[in-house]
Amino acid sequence: MTDPPSPAVRLSGVTIRYGERVALAGVDLEVRPGEFVALAGPNGSGKTTLLRALLGFLSPDAGVVEVLGGEPRSVSVRERARRVAWVPQEEGARDDVPLLDYLLYGRYAQLRPLEGETDEDRSRAMGVLAEVGLADRAEDGILSLSGGERQRAILGRALVQASPVLLLDEPTAHLDIGHQLDLLGRVRSLAAVGRVTVIAALHDLNLAARFADRIVVLSRGRKVADGPPASVLSEELLERVWGVVAELRRDRRTGASYLLPYRPATPAPQGPTSLGPGPVHVVGGGGTASPLLRALAEQGYRLTAGVLNLLDSDHETAQELGVPCTVEVPFAPIGPEARARLRGMLEAARAIVVAPFPVGPSNLSNLEDLQPFASRVLLLPRTKNDAWDFADGAATRALAALRSAGAVEAAGPDGWRTALNDRLDLAPKPA
Amino acid sequence: MAAVAAPAVPPPVRLRVGRAAGLLALVLGATLLLSPILGNVAIPPGLVVRILLDHLSGGWLVSSPCAGFAVSPRLCAAYGEIVWESRFPEVLLALGAGAALGCSGASLQGIFRNPLADPFLLGISSGATVGAALVFDFRIDLSQANLALPLFAFVGALATGGVILLAARSRFGSVETLLLTGVALSSFLSSLLSLLLLVNPTGSLQVDFWLLGNIGDGTWSVDGIVLGVLLITGTLLSLFGRELNLLQLGNDVAQSLGVDARRVRVLVLLLTCLTTAVAVAFTGIIGFVGLVSPHIIRRTFGTDYRIVVPGSAVVGGAFLLGARDLSVWVLPSSVLPIGIFTAFAGAPFFAYLLYRRRSRSPMGAV
Repeated sequence: MTDPPSPAVRLSGVTIRYGERVALAGVDLEVRPGEFVALAGPNGSGKTTLLRALLGFLSPDAGVVEVLGGEPRSVSVRERARRVAWVPQEEGARDDVPLLDYLLYGRYAQLRPLEGETDEDRSRAMGVLAEVGLADRAEDGILSLSGGERQRAILGRALVQASPVLLLDEPTAHLDIGHQLDLLGRVRSLAAVGRVTVIAALHDLNLAARFADRIVVLSRGRKVADGPPASVLSEELLERVWGVVAELRRDRRTGASYLLPYRPATPAPQGPTSLGPGPVHVVGGGGTASPLLRALAEQGYRLTAGVLNLLDSDHETAQELGVPCTVEVPFAPIGPEARARLRGMLEAARAIVVAPFPVGPSNLSNLEDLQPFASRVLLLPRTKNDAWDFADGAATRALAALRSAGAVEAAGPDGWRTALNDRLDLAPKPA
Repeated sequence: MAAVAAPAVPPPVRLRVGRAAGLLALVLGATLLLSPILGNVAIPPGLVVRILLDHLSGGWLVSSPCAGFAVSPRLCAAYGEIVWESRFPEVLLALGAGAALGCSGASLQGIFRNPLADPFLLGISSGATVGAALVFDFRIDLSQANLALPLFAFVGALATGGVILLAARSRFGSVETLLLTGVALSSFLSSLLSLLLLVNPTGSLQVDFWLLGNIGDGTWSVDGIVLGVLLITGTLLSLFGRELNLLQLGNDVAQSLGVDARRVRVLVLLLTCLTTAVAVAFTGIIGFVGLVSPHIIRRTFGTDYRIVVPGSAVVGGAFLLGARDLSVWVLPSSVLPIGIFTAFAGAPFFAYLLYRRRSRSPMGAV
């Protein structure tokens, strides 16, 4: 690092594959000494792979990785550790090592073989413990630390390592907002005094924008944006890379820009094409409809449900999701009032989805009442060997009648999404 | 980097255990002197200690051991022979073999990050016995047996260790895989061993010796080999303590801190196989010492492998010595295989560890 313009980290044309899958595709990147670069991108975009290449865990299938002017894989493991320190996303600690000893692990690469830690190493470790706010826990076992404290302990160990390049992989994943700001602030100030070059994979774009000098955005293994936060953050980028609709705002006090995400962008190919009036009605029972209700609610469908028993877990789910529901008291056949209400809901529904619920004499009407609306009915597949007809074959007959009247069956457990979209387009719009 | 604050720095690890180690050495030394009192010929305890002190100090502490005892000079010479040429070497072999198994167990637990690893459970002991049994089948000149046995045992142990290493490195390298691989290897190897012993020219008497573990073969030359090898490998294994500590954080983290995980694994496994092989070559299979000892040390002194590895050697030696004393005390007239006693104590302990591990968070600090 004698020559200022020489980069601390350089990737040129780096491609890394896991078997068939391309994790990084021709990525170029240069990071100057003392710079704080945030790596952003959705899950599976290649952030961690890039960090692992810098650590020398992976060798590129094409291209060159250089850290402090040398390829990580060409130097010894010990020398690598003297150049690069790493804060992993999480670490499976199993031994209750005293915190101070744990931090001293960071000195390993600096010690000669057989050399013990000196008093200087120990006071350095204590100094770092104070820096990360854990000085009073020095003698406690690491298993007694909370998630946030553990994360700071890992950062502490990396700082004790005193390597010029510091890599962080989602360091704030387990932290509350106060500790997120605290931890990134500490890293920021270290970079600011030129002690370390920082490359951090960060989920939170606003945190990245606040602390990093530069944001590098990866998407499906490619670099799609690279620059100072203000020039990288845009509503268009968020929708294109993350598929999220957001609004870019400017903080009135600091002038920094930040993103306010609203909802997933909808025009995904299998999503509903139009969410017109008229809810989707769900028929179920015995907990069979709960996952369906949740999935549909998440997709933004308006829903109704019934007839369900008061104590049924499907009813609880419907209530929790705020889905209007026709109910009947438990352990009794579905009565005329409930059936009338159901009829109203069915008439209003744009589509009717039938969960694979068990049918007995008391809830047989739930199938029979669908008959007039068979053309709007979507049946979810039942597992072949599951007994479900407890009404002496009446339920099987009702189902067959529905099918012959035009009800369709979803193919496979996930086929209902596509089938439902087709159904929505086919279904007559409510008057 | 100037220290931001200078809170009191806790004392280093070596001071914390120094006193305890001193006490342990004292107890072990006393046991070593007192153990030869037990045996199938009743010799006055005071006389036994005097005979030992005479030999150990070269006549400086005690010059004529039988003075003051009502024994004839001929009997005195016979007692001297029994104590110094038979019992004491036997006691030393128990100590050496136990220590070898103890530090082997600790090292295996370290490299496999697995508190249930043990040379016996992983089949390494069985591998060593098969290797050693080949010596009999090849009718190797028995004057060289003291060297040939450990050498062949080492080859057998190493082959088994290689298979275990491959199993541990595969994608399915969970605790269960490791243990089941060990079980499979063990039963395969013990059938192989039975076969080898059935066709061996010296007859089936050896079977008991190999399968149940026995320290009756302790002689000064055997002790020299076992303790000599142990001194070297035990020291080297203890020096890997720091690397083993870092390995517990997982391969990637250890690498990022500068530990060449693969190299450490292979070297430690090599040393472990050698240590186990030397013990097994002369004592046969003695189970559970390598499993129990590290747990006792961890309970008392914490999980630092710089202490766990040498500490397990000490505890393992004491454990096997205690088992020897117990076996002689219970049945002084017959030579009872010592492995039976360690299994009586070790197998329930193993079951206890398994159940405790299941009932706690995954891989708790057992």
